[in-house]
Amino acid sequence: MATSTTPAPALQRPRPDRNPGPGVNFGRVLKSEWIKVTTVPSTVILIACTVVLMVGISALLAWQTTFLFEAQSDPEMAAQMQAQGAPDPNDIVRDIPGSGLTFGQLLMASLAVVLIASEWATGMIRSTMVAVPRRTPALLAKQLIMAVISFVIGAGSALIAYFIAQPILAGSDLDFGLGDDGVLLHIVNTGSVLALVSIFAMSIGTLIRNTAGGVVTSIGILLVLPIVVAIFGSGTEWVVDAARFLPSSGGEQMVATTIADGAFNQWQGALVLGGWSLLLLVVSLIVTKKRDV
Amino acid sequence: MIEAQALSKRYGAKTAVDAVSFTVQPGKVTGFLGPNGAGKSTTMRMIVGLDNPSGGGVTVNGRAYAQHTAPLREVGALLDAKAVHTKRSAYNHLRAMAATHGIPNSRVKDVIELTGLGPVAKKRVGGFSLGMGQRLGIAAALLGDPHTVILDEPVNGLDPEGVQWVRHLAKGLASEGRTVFLSSHLMSEMALTADHLIVIGRGRIIADAPIQSIIDGQGKVRVRVRADRPQDLLGGLAGEGVTSQVLEPELVEITGVEPRRIAEIALRERVLVYELTPLQVSLEDAYMQLTQNEVEYHSHTPTAADPAAAPSEGR
Repeated sequence: MATSTTPAPALQRPRPDRNPGPGVNFGRVLKSEWIKVTTVPSTVILIACTVVLMVGISALLAWQTTFLFEAQSDPEMAAQMQAQGAPDPNDIVRDIPGSGLTFGQLLMASLAVVLIASEWATGMIRSTMVAVPRRTPALLAKQLIMAVISFVIGAGSALIAYFIAQPILAGSDLDFGLGDDGVLLHIVNTGSVLALVSIFAMSIGTLIRNTAGGVVTSIGILLVLPIVVAIFGSGTEWVVDAARFLPSSGGEQMVATTIADGAFNQWQGALVLGGWSLLLLVVSLIVTKKRDV
Repeated sequence: MIEAQALSKRYGAKTAVDAVSFTVQPGKVTGFLGPNGAGKSTTMRMIVGLDNPSGGGVTVNGRAYAQHTAPLREVGALLDAKAVHTKRSAYNHLRAMAATHGIPNSRVKDVIELTGLGPVAKKRVGGFSLGMGQRLGIAAALLGDPHTVILDEPVNGLDPEGVQWVRHLAKGLASEGRTVFLSSHLMSEMALTADHLIVIGRGRIIADAPIQSIIDGQGKVRVRVRADRPQDLLGGLAGEGVTSQVLEPELVEITGVEPRRIAEIALRERVLVYELTPLQVSLEDAYMQLTQNEVEYHSHTPTAADPAAAPSEGR
């Protein structure tokens, strides 16, 4: 070791017991992830689209419900419509605030996948993992930020939609109060479903590491799979039974304002969707910890 | 200080890094030299924990990289100039990196100034040239004012002014007592920057020595001789400790003895010499000699089987 050739030992820093300065902690990683989320344009665009879509769909549905109400005020027409299986407007109005949830899921699941998979696509993940070599805090911070954003967007949109729908519904005397049965839970859970769905989707994005693949897989499981099951499994009892445990079914029950006989209630629905999200989250954390970046 | 102990990395059947052990000392610039695909990048990725070793281990300042409480303040690494989200600005990228360690924005502005990124700091990284991306990578490496700096091919894509800047930067950091470890596949670049060289080929350490001793050790005098009876000439040189290579029936390359001595022997042996050319031994030659056995993979025309020779560089 030719340390004698080292110039200027006076400049040599004391080591190794020198204090390097502040280190990594979860609060700092959260701040870093917040900067990352807010400094790419896709986040802002997708969030704006989600709010507009969710509120817009609720307003449209409220408007449409008033027509249904008018049609049914004619007793003859009402009997005919009931025979065709049309719902009673009074039964469905309370679902209006969260009626844009399907579109909200589509967009927020996409955003969740994009946020993590784009790090792999651009190579940013290597910078992230060099700064936070334990890896898990970086992923958890991103998940937490996205879940909170999703909750606020979901619950906020539903609340805005509630207030926009009331004057429209009031004309037909269909308006309802925030304190009415299940309404507040419906609004809050619209946010909760989006938060759990974003964890679900971001975990898939973390495992697949590819934006297109992650979006297709998440949307496939959340929105297409229930349709396929409904079409092909409706006659088979065990399929119907098992379908209650699909993540999408859990989300549906979470925002239900009336619970059918034998169906899961809101909390059981939350266990189903939350269970899937937690399972995928844990798997994605373990796999990321072990894989090369 | 970086210490690798029997560090290995295998990708399936291919061994990218084969039980290498080395120490990178503080206070000098250590060059990590090797042909493309030799395992330089893989080794550097293992140092900062991006790749898990298949065997052995590596520590920085006495601990595995991930065990440090403030890794960016211990080690600054430029591994890949493209490790940046293309839609984010350079400033925001550095700010996000800095936030993980509570590094203030004033330091972010400092490294932007230091690397000359000022005019483009607020622009999206996607539009950066290779050289600008390289400067951003170096800026990120310096954020934590780290004691150990690792730069993988730092002069790639830089203009001559930038190349010179990196040289001064590396030497300056080393003179402050820091550990500086930089890789290159260009011997000429290393000759100007490094004090110590670790040469790697096909995943194995070929040489680990001060740069001057590598040049001296390999750079013996080599002379090209055309003669009518080269075998008689070589017979006469037998006691001189030379190595020789017969290239053509009347053409040999003789290493280890001065041209004048060859002429004397030729005269004594009555051999007709019609060319006697001293060959300049450059650093490049020394490097080629060191690695010639390790790069044979690359030297023939590429075939379908060849991409296996460089599995790790493009990741």
